[in-house]
Amino acid sequence: MLKRCILAESRKLRRSPIWLLFFVMPLISASYGTFNYLQNLEILHERWYSLWTQHTLFYSMLFFPAMVAAYAAYLWRLEHLGHNWNLIMAAPVPPLDLFFAKFCVVCKLALLTQVWELTLFVACGKLFARFGDWPPVELVVFALRGTLGALAVIAAQLLLAMVIRSFAVPIFLAIVGGIAGMLLGSKGYSLLWPYCLMQAGMNANRSEDVLAGQAVQFAAASALWLAAMFVIAYLLLKERDVKA
Amino acid sequence: MQNVIETDALCKTYGSHRVVDHLALTVPEGCVYGFLGPNGAGKSTTMKMLLGLVHPTSGTVRLLGKPMTDANRLALLQQTGSLIESPSGYLHLTARENLEIVADLKGVSRKDITRVLDIVQLTRDQHRKVGQYSLGMKQRLGIAMALLGSPKLLILDEPTNGLDPAGIQEMRELIRTMPAATGATVLISSHLLGEMEQMVEQVGIIDHGRMLFEGPLTELQRHSRGDLTLRLLHPAKALPVLRANGLPTADTGSTLTLPPLRDDLLAGLVQALADSGAGVVGLTQHTKTLEEIFLTLTAPKEVG
Repeated sequence: MLKRCILAESRKLRRSPIWLLFFVMPLISASYGTFNYLQNLEILHERWYSLWTQHTLFYSMLFFPAMVAAYAAYLWRLEHLGHNWNLIMAAPVPPLDLFFAKFCVVCKLALLTQVWELTLFVACGKLFARFGDWPPVELVVFALRGTLGALAVIAAQLLLAMVIRSFAVPIFLAIVGGIAGMLLGSKGYSLLWPYCLMQAGMNANRSEDVLAGQAVQFAAASALWLAAMFVIAYLLLKERDVKA
Repeated sequence: MQNVIETDALCKTYGSHRVVDHLALTVPEGCVYGFLGPNGAGKSTTMKMLLGLVHPTSGTVRLLGKPMTDANRLALLQQTGSLIESPSGYLHLTARENLEIVADLKGVSRKDITRVLDIVQLTRDQHRKVGQYSLGMKQRLGIAMALLGSPKLLILDEPTNGLDPAGIQEMRELIRTMPAATGATVLISSHLLGEMEQMVEQVGIIDHGRMLFEGPLTELQRHSRGDLTLRLLHPAKALPVLRANGLPTADTGSTLTLPPLRDDLLAGLVQALADSGAGVVGLTQHTKTLEEIFLTLTAPKEVG
């Protein structure tokens, strides 16, 4: 039944305006990161790593949470509009499957976003920073790790967008969450706040690996936050009356 | 005959407001059941409770002979099609794409999409975006969604709402023939009795969350008979006849208003009036509005 739900959910993205956002936001983020890098060449000496920090700092703190929030808000907005809550909740599928299907679809979009971001990163390194070599493979690992950390954010945003009927409010909360994440992360509390996990995973603000030796804790924190969001989603979907 | 829907002492309370009050709804298999009541009477809430979209405060729901419980819910929904609170759908997609989504969710074959599009006559417009559809077309798409998978039970909440007279007529025809064509039992709600009269066999009337009447339409029609207007050439000659039948005789010119009468009594009266030379020119039977029927249902029985 989950497969059927994912199929149905993917169909809803056809001709969706969300794809415009998908292409444009990483472009803005990459331009900003590259510009910052080129303006600060006198203090940034670690080439690909330095460019990486400039690219990912604002991306993982602001752009990515905002994009994930927009994906999540868009998918729920489709249900909030036009009484579609009645339609999906009267379908013969477990309600949590509907949530899980949206989660899978946003994960897919988030992963594609990461690939697009990585492509832009390499392109900017080659074209504007004029690096002759290729970036270290480690950065791809960071990107994947960031995606793992992002899972909790995706679930949290889906939960917010499910409960809040407004499109903008959950996105605003994601930005607040991202900024709070940066502050908490700088104090070393990265694993205690879901919006930190993405930044920590991406290794966004330092050249050395902030998660060195903490891989297990990072994975555990990601899993725990993710599980917590799913439990809340399950209870809300099961216990609340449907209001279309 | 088995009952497809049975509720027992069904209640829903929001805060201190009781929206549905000990409702006993019984829908026999193979009929079109009209669920009538003014706006805010508790029709939508009841229908949502039948589908498990709203949790009852107390009482039970049985669909297709089985209790609506967490364990049974998905199996029962698999055999139920519904349209609740005006049409649903994804406006940026075409009708066919919308139906593909619902078919996926219901686990129904794609082939069925062509069939339901044909039933609701949207085949020609299936590749247009639903956002460009008129309200009537959206309603029909909603019905098509409900029909996917040939459910045994259809629950339709005010499907004629917002339709123009031609659309209402089409919808009426579609729903009236549903039990014969698909074998489905249909529960349909409306706040207009006139809209329902030509398509339902059973009716339930709900007001303030309570069932005021449940039974065959023919029985309700007895309650819905309104006053009679009698137009006469010589009203004065009619007065003795009316007095002899125990009817009010206030003189109002050439038209007389009579209380509702049973058919045989009315026929006798008209005969007597004609014989008296009063000159019967016209006789009009008024149908009561739903609100007036409520008063009848809670007040003493009609004359005769």
